[in-house]
Amino acid sequence: MEIISKIFLENKAWAADKTNKDREYFNKLALIQEPDFLWIGCSDSRVPANEITNTEPGEMFVHRNIANVVDLNDINLMSVMQYAVEYLKVKHIIVCGHYGCGGIKAAMTKDSFGKMDIWLKKIKDVYIQYQSIVDEIDNEENRLKKMVELNVMAGVQKIQTAELIQSHADVTVHGWVYDLRDGILHRVAGG
Amino acid sequence: MKSFFKEDLKSSIVLYLVALPLCLGIALASKAPIISGVIAGIVGGIVVGLLSGSNTSVSGPAAGLTIIVITGLKDLPDYQAFLLAVVLAGGFQFLLSQLKAGVLGDFIPGAVISGMLVSIGLLLVLKQIPHALGYDFDFEGDEEFLQEDGKNTFSEIYYAFIELNWGAFLIAVLSMFVLIGWGSEKLNKYGFFRLIPSQLIVVLLGIGINAIYISYFPDIALKGFHLSDVPKIDAETLAGWSFPDFSQIGNPMVWKLAITMAFVASIETLLSIQAGDKIDNYNRITPPNRELFAQGIGNISSGFLGGLPITSVIVRTSANVNAGARTKWSSIFHGVLLLMSVLVLTPFINLVPKAALAAILIHVGYKLSKPSIFKDEYKKKFNRFLPFIITILAILLTDLLIGVIVGILVSLCFILVSNYKTSVMLYEDHGNFLLRFNKDVSFLNKKNIKKLLGTIPDNSKLLIDSTKADFVDIDIIEAVDDFIEAAPNRNIKISVKTTATKPQSLFKSI
Repeated sequence: MEIISKIFLENKAWAADKTNKDREYFNKLALIQEPDFLWIGCSDSRVPANEITNTEPGEMFVHRNIANVVDLNDINLMSVMQYAVEYLKVKHIIVCGHYGCGGIKAAMTKDSFGKMDIWLKKIKDVYIQYQSIVDEIDNEENRLKKMVELNVMAGVQKIQTAELIQSHADVTVHGWVYDLRDGILHRVAGG
Repeated sequence: MKSFFKEDLKSSIVLYLVALPLCLGIALASKAPIISGVIAGIVGGIVVGLLSGSNTSVSGPAAGLTIIVITGLKDLPDYQAFLLAVVLAGGFQFLLSQLKAGVLGDFIPGAVISGMLVSIGLLLVLKQIPHALGYDFDFEGDEEFLQEDGKNTFSEIYYAFIELNWGAFLIAVLSMFVLIGWGSEKLNKYGFFRLIPSQLIVVLLGIGINAIYISYFPDIALKGFHLSDVPKIDAETLAGWSFPDFSQIGNPMVWKLAITMAFVASIETLLSIQAGDKIDNYNRITPPNRELFAQGIGNISSGFLGGLPITSVIVRTSANVNAGARTKWSSIFHGVLLLMSVLVLTPFINLVPKAALAAILIHVGYKLSKPSIFKDEYKKKFNRFLPFIITILAILLTDLLIGVIVGILVSLCFILVSNYKTSVMLYEDHGNFLLRFNKDVSFLNKKNIKKLLGTIPDNSKLLIDSTKADFVDIDIIEAVDDFIEAAPNRNIKISVKTTATKPQSLFKSI
């Protein structure tokens, strides 16, 4: 079967299952959006925000980019954040990275990746900021792990200093790292 | 202590008045010495009450055990040997409590517990109507559909109407008015109506009206077996008082009876505490293993003292809650009152017309089985309502234990059916089909799968997804493999879904 036909078929099956369990499922969901969380995560296909937190549609507002980079000049992220805080009234912002992140790994090399270099530069900035800590670690794997954590910490700090969050004292910012190898979330910063 | 005088003293008096005739009735029905029922009632109230962790449950001799007691007495040489079996049954219950067997009560579905309470309520109403009409032939506390005398629940009511006793009928009707009116909002504004339990007024009213009958209308005055007939404790009754005979310890029939009684009494107890917790106004939960322990010690004590076997009793428990009991002191003090009644209260108790007591029990029964309970259950899902109704019918037409077992089996069927329905699903989108296995797919689903596969038209595409199944029976895999092999003849193109974590197909043909 063609791969796109499969997606449509699976979608139909999923919708049928939902309405089988609760006839009003989509009617209820269509009426309101009241998520409690804003998730800022990595685009990596192995870190789906809803699945790993077992949240349902309607529970989490999601923004994903390569290596969950937080940049206060990124108009995309800043619009998402403003909408989430001011209109959806979310009380928790989660920055979630993951060990084994390809974006972090790429940024830590001297290779060029074309247009992507502009994006990776933001991760290189984090490295430069914490270079003394990172360079102390001899093991390559542990160095990358540390960079994943520092990237999340830097993101949390930036959000906390943002004007939008400064004026919303009831919003908590969390920094988490997801471990691909056992599926467990770890707190590393904030909240 | 303050709450005891405020609530529990009053409820314990009501409970005592209801329990005493039940104790005597069950002793009578069990063909055991009349005093044995009261002893079991005293031990059930005081000993079990003190040890139990329940604040609603009331224990004593139970209708559910009468058949076992009757057959036991037939199989054993004498009543003393039977008492030994009661002691041993208590020992087995103690063992069950140490083995933590009390958790079994949590496996009873909610629909069955609800159905059980309703049917006890209906039984109370149906079985007490004859007593309210002055037809006092069946023993107090009977819960069987077919009675000893060959009549049944409904024919008994029919005969009661034919031979209506106007004296009793009038007392019962007035009592019902008092019981219903007492709870009304209008009267509840006045402290008096909240202070004195209506059931107590009903008893006094019954005695008073009968006194008027005796003076002015002797034709309809209630006498003899129309009144509570507590035997006088005299030399004769004391002579019937006996103690266990330990020389029978080697008799296998004693052991067999002990095991049967321990088993049935424990089940009845677990059912009763589930029911008590459900109707508890304070939503407290009874620790089941502690209850089995209390029951075990209770039966050991009752057996030693010459009493009948004990269980927690739903009728008494609901009468207790209905009378406003707040803590277990209500049950304990009702035991104390039973003890006192044997010693001093007998002359007073023997003035109480059974019709007044019948009105109290009918009122309790109505509260347990009123139409709004049916309405609430009906609003829930069908797979809850049907076991509920079937449990009620089964208990009414057989007895408590069989009815509950039937209810549990029906609930189990619903689980099987619901699993059967959702474990295999077929979806369609623009001529593309998806056959998905969920949860456990056993040989039971084979027919359904073949049927679903049969509905797929020629020249279509089928995706088979077993990645969401926890278990797929080999029979099912074979059936699907057969279909896959035959598919090219019908030009059905089949693919099997695999994921990154489940790359292997279950089916050999692909």
